[in-house]
Amino acid sequence: MFAFLVKRILYAIPVLLIVASLTFVLVRIVPGGPFDAERNLPKEIVANLEAKYNLNKPVHEQYFLYLGRLVKGDLGVSYKYANRTVNDIIGDAFPVSLQLGLVALVLAICIGVPLGALAGVNRGTAIDYISMFISTSGISLPSFVIGAGLIFIMGISLRILPVALWESPQHMILPAVTLAFGPAAYLARLTRASVLEILEKDWVRTARSKGLSKFSTVVKHVLRNAMIPVLTVLGPITASLITGSFVVEYIYAIPGMGRFFITAVSNRDYDLIMATTLVFSILLLITNTLVDIGYKFLDPRMEVDG
Amino acid sequence: MKKVKRDVFSRLKRIPTAHFSMWVVGIICLIALLSYLNVPLTPYSFDQTSETVLLGPSMAHWMGTDELGRDVLTRVIYGSRLSISIGIITALVGFLVGTLYGAIAGYVGGKVDSVLMRIVDIAYSLPDLLVMILLGVLIGRGTVGILLALALTSWRGTARLVRAQFIQLKNEEFVEAARAQGQNHLLIVLKHMLPNSLGPVIVAMTFTVPAAILSESTLSFIGLGLSPPACSWGTLASDGWRALRTHPHLIFFPSSFIFMTVLAFNFLGDGLRDAIDPRTRI
Repeated sequence: MFAFLVKRILYAIPVLLIVASLTFVLVRIVPGGPFDAERNLPKEIVANLEAKYNLNKPVHEQYFLYLGRLVKGDLGVSYKYANRTVNDIIGDAFPVSLQLGLVALVLAICIGVPLGALAGVNRGTAIDYISMFISTSGISLPSFVIGAGLIFIMGISLRILPVALWESPQHMILPAVTLAFGPAAYLARLTRASVLEILEKDWVRTARSKGLSKFSTVVKHVLRNAMIPVLTVLGPITASLITGSFVVEYIYAIPGMGRFFITAVSNRDYDLIMATTLVFSILLLITNTLVDIGYKFLDPRMEVDG
Repeated sequence: MKKVKRDVFSRLKRIPTAHFSMWVVGIICLIALLSYLNVPLTPYSFDQTSETVLLGPSMAHWMGTDELGRDVLTRVIYGSRLSISIGIITALVGFLVGTLYGAIAGYVGGKVDSVLMRIVDIAYSLPDLLVMILLGVLIGRGTVGILLALALTSWRGTARLVRAQFIQLKNEEFVEAARAQGQNHLLIVLKHMLPNSLGPVIVAMTFTVPAAILSESTLSFIGLGLSPPACSWGTLASDGWRALRTHPHLIFFPSSFIFMTVLAFNFLGDGLRDAIDPRTRI
């Protein structure tokens, strides 16, 4: 396990370097600079600002300056939120997104996996059709439609839940449900397909024929094996739920990573864009590593390496 | 090949959701096409008087009117042009690029394969929406920019799929036989390998259309995709969002069309998958 973790960390370094370089190049090719919005700024002031943030230097010099700071853990400064470092902003926004993302993840797993398993085990029955109709609808609804619907029903018509901001646990309900909807539906479809595949295996028939009840066959033999593909997609799903769904944070005015990313892109807030992207990649690497460790629990024969 | 096509089609028709969805997709595409012929009102003609703006649904305006007195039904029909064509073009580009890329990786193999696949891995290490937003801003916020941004994220899945298929097919006897006959590589790929790997690719393509429609509407919704005067279901929903509290019909109708279309394409994709691979048939 130790060797595995060391290997993963060593693998992560070049990946992060590539992601950082790609994003660096991308954001700088994008037309427009961070100080374009204030149109009436005199040329001299823009020049001063650019000098202050080293934006007047050649791009390759900026790149090495950036990497130098990055190694020291300094993510830079925001051009838009004056006097705030990007470390500060990420420090504030990340816990919000983490909380929202984890709640949504738990919701998605608790709803999606049982729904899919139920459909798979009862293939071809009304239960199957109904749960597949629900989950196909789930992947067909954009989250802004779910969000708008929930806000309209729960917040505007019934007035039982707050529809924006991030203050109390009640504020978390609607965004978490909105965020969980898509992944839950996706997990249900995946679980069903996976259960169907496992049900056809010889050893399932063996388990049944040696007298094991249908329930324990499903729980002990089928589900455990059917979870392998589910676990695989949990990696990217978790990462994207935690870094914040751009849309959900936009709709509910939640000060999380997703919302900061959107405003950062619109404002050409270079360092903030870089930082959010890097946080996402790091999370993806971590969750994928966790997923690989998870395989080992589901199927001890699996080799965890590379 | 013809018989296979007929078989798949008849199996598809036996799946009720897929059969119904074929009709829904057909009708929506037809509406989008017919809008080029004759529409009673143009989407930009407005009648901005106190009696004609922000009306709820009625006999005169089936889906009501917006804040400039424009007929929402007309705008939704116009929106279908952009939304549907963005979905279909994205799927086609993703299909062409992904197939070419995956075919090269799978057929050539070795170092070329591992370099090409590492590139796909890196392309996958960023969230789609993030890449689309960056690319969209980079290329420009017009229709072409969005199309390119969507297309650039849609090829990766197809590339992996085709590569996996090609690696499997490469060792099949009929491919070896063709090679032994001395047929050139291009011919082997086009005549023997591609047709045999097309099934799953077509299924993947069917799922790309709704995914692209969703992405476009989401991007436009958060203000980083198309913006007015461009008129797609996403921009219409985005307009309606601001009036959610007072005039919910403005977001309801475009959203319903997005949902209906995407649902139909997804059911069609499910149906095609089951029809092409009868083992998974319900």
